[in-house]
Amino acid sequence: MGLHAFVPRRENSLLWGGALAAALLLPAVLRSEYVLNIAVLAGIYVILAASLNITNGYTGLFSFGHAAFYGIGAYTAAILATRLGWGFALTLPAAGVAAALVGAALALITVRLSGIFLALVTIGFQEITFLVTLNWIALTRGPMGIPGVPPPALGGYELRGNTGYYYVILALDVLTLFVVARVATSRVGRAFVAIREDELAAQASGLPTFRLKVLAFVIATFFAGLAGAFFAHHARFVSADSFRLDETFVILTMLIVGGLGSFLGPIIGAVALVILPEVSRGLVEYRGVAYGLVLIAAILFRPQGIAGVPGIIQPRGLLARAAAGEELAG
Amino acid sequence: MSLLEVSGLSVAFGGLAALKNVSFSLEDREIVGLIGPNGAGKTTLFNCLSGFQVPDEGTMRFLGTALEWRSPERIAALGLARTFQTSRIFRCMTVLDHVLIGLHRHQHAGFWAAIARPAWVAAEEAATRRRGLELLALFEDWLLPRMNDFAGSLSHANRRRLEIARALATGPTLLLLDEPTAGMNPHESASIVRLIQAVRDLGITVFLIEHDMKVIMNASDRIVVLDHGEKIAEGRPEEIRRNEDVVSAYMGRRGTRA
Amino acid sequence: MLLSQVVNGLSQGSLYALVAIGFVIIFGTMNLVTFAHGEVYMIGAFVGYFALGVYHLPWPVALAAGMAAAFGVGSLIEKTAFRPLRGTGHMPPLLITIGLSIMLKDLAVVIFGAENRPVPSVYETTIEVASVPVSVLQLVILGLSGALVVALRLLLQSTKIGRAMRATAQDHEAAYAMGVNVHRVFNIAFALASALGGAAGVMVGIYYNTVYPAMGSTAGLKGFAACVFGGLTSVPGAILGGLIIGVVENLTVQFVASGYRDVAAFVVMVLILLLRPQGLLGKRLRAA
Repeated sequence: MGLHAFVPRRENSLLWGGALAAALLLPAVLRSEYVLNIAVLAGIYVILAASLNITNGYTGLFSFGHAAFYGIGAYTAAILATRLGWGFALTLPAAGVAAALVGAALALITVRLSGIFLALVTIGFQEITFLVTLNWIALTRGPMGIPGVPPPALGGYELRGNTGYYYVILALDVLTLFVVARVATSRVGRAFVAIREDELAAQASGLPTFRLKVLAFVIATFFAGLAGAFFAHHARFVSADSFRLDETFVILTMLIVGGLGSFLGPIIGAVALVILPEVSRGLVEYRGVAYGLVLIAAILFRPQGIAGVPGIIQPRGLLARAAAGEELAG
Repeated sequence: MSLLEVSGLSVAFGGLAALKNVSFSLEDREIVGLIGPNGAGKTTLFNCLSGFQVPDEGTMRFLGTALEWRSPERIAALGLARTFQTSRIFRCMTVLDHVLIGLHRHQHAGFWAAIARPAWVAAEEAATRRRGLELLALFEDWLLPRMNDFAGSLSHANRRRLEIARALATGPTLLLLDEPTAGMNPHESASIVRLIQAVRDLGITVFLIEHDMKVIMNASDRIVVLDHGEKIAEGRPEEIRRNEDVVSAYMGRRGTRA
Repeated sequence: MLLSQVVNGLSQGSLYALVAIGFVIIFGTMNLVTFAHGEVYMIGAFVGYFALGVYHLPWPVALAAGMAAAFGVGSLIEKTAFRPLRGTGHMPPLLITIGLSIMLKDLAVVIFGAENRPVPSVYETTIEVASVPVSVLQLVILGLSGALVVALRLLLQSTKIGRAMRATAQDHEAAYAMGVNVHRVFNIAFALASALGGAAGVMVGIYYNTVYPAMGSTAGLKGFAACVFGGLTSVPGAILGGLIIGVVENLTVQFVASGYRDVAAFVVMVLILLLRPQGLLGKRLRAA
């Protein structure tokens, strides 16, 4: 049993129960606004990486549009909050649903494409979404962004300060990871992995692969939307610049380094890469270099990441086997 | 009504005919071999039957239902399962998971059931698991002891067996096996022949592509022979062995290896 | 007015075409996609900027320097990042190029700063061709792009290495079996594609009088959009795609709104991928 196989179940409830308790006690133990702020940031990326893992990790669909859905969630929440005065309790599900609807639409027309073609279409979608957001001034105020998003409020009491935000994002993380764990250990999750491993064989075994791939997209984009809503109420200012292809790359890097296709992978990846630039404050401006190097190192030396499924990347083909020293039998 | 009726099946790839006017039928509970020199169109025929290739002309009726234009998953649901020439296993899934995937369409737990986990979901999973273990048990002790191993760690022969197990799990009435004994030694091939007979005894018809003549002659009730996309002979193994057209098709092609 | 926008579009489009041809060479020969191409283009542009703007060398020298730098960087990338991953499919090399892209862009910002650097003008005169104002610079760019494409074609058709590249693109396993040093061919193909990208970068720098670290991102993505016209495998398709995108962009600025300029390329790309993934001029791709 490796790290990649860990999923919260009744059997290991002591373990994940302990982790949850530790997470709940964190603000009391580490009384630092700075640390809490990082924890909140990590919390957002855990949701983003874990949701991306559903499509890119478990199902093997390389989608590069995740930041766009994050942005759709954020803008939905911001617009509803600033124009209609909706509170967080309403904007949160609305953001998730909005992102999921767009995700479903995108999936319905694109999942029949495979591999690099799907990747390119999702990049095209990502860029188009960014540009439309930037230019649809009437809806989004374009480059000026949407300021003045209120913080989350519970029964009239506004949550300010990092502690409040921390507990909100922790709750969202628990929700997301609960769904991920349930899906991963279910018939549906099994089907996702079969599609990743060999879609043709999955079809021949009777799996409705089209429907399943669309489902994977809907789940992933819903949670990206939730993360977006939190972002809007936390940063309190939303602008298209935060949701570009670069951001998708950041989330993807976290997922790969942490480990594709496993429960712990996205959690480890998000936490590690949020902490990494903070470890040495002098190197903060080298964040891009650090992320790039870590991603490259991961692919070259440990493609399954820290806690991902081993063997997700396998050498194939004549040249690779020759490179690995195998004989070229007829 | 026959289990499978194929009539006038033709497929051409860019001007080159892969199948030309092929017609035959398969009945209940029989083992039929499909042989022919390399490039004769055997796998193409399998691809047509299983929904991976759309034929240009002709019809295929399985238990009276037309197969043309159906997706592979619909065809599997109708009761036609297949294995592939090169093992298409799920490398990062366990042996048990493979049969569970084959049993997927017999379960009903969807996304919401996965989240809420009402009692019937656990019962369904347990029943499916039991059925999966029964299927693995059909394979002597090759697969069952390895049920929690990743398929990527299996030997070549066990991978072929696993593919057959997964196909059987879908609950077919017709099983297409594409060169199941490829790469196996005579001992292993003999175990596959026993398996095929056991499958037939379960009430499943087996349609079997093979290059190993001993396997085909031992296992088949009937044999269909293709050459250059056309059916050149059909009959019992003894008849086929003596058939001049078949012999010359193989003799003429002996120098060629695809 | 319309015609001058078309001329603008063709000049810019020819530069997108050069980037796109680079992708086609890489995908056609190695069956791989690179996301770091934009950064190689940017490196070429910066080298050109230093040669032209800082050391005041003549622009052909700047162009050659930019191409050489890009060639070198490309060769290095292929040797250190792609070669170890031979045969692992599309995704791992793609992910490495994402890492390289992130890294190189950030390094450029750290070293050079994020702001625009001015590139001195070359050829400021405008002439009239059939009563359409055309700048000499645009003619030079169109000419140079054309010359590079012709040179590439000559290389592929008439040299030993070109034949080796074409054989490898057709079937790399067969080429390997016939004694072609496939690793070397891959390296040269990638470096060559990078050199074309570098050339485009230098010329873009001269055309817009500016270079900056983020200039590679959009250029790379538009290069993708252009090569999709040829189904990722056709050089004429990539050229056509680049020119069309350049023209459509300029017409969009003229008749729709300048902010939507970049959308045109991506909308076209998505439409082609959805409706005709083999492109308008490409062949059906064989299954991986």
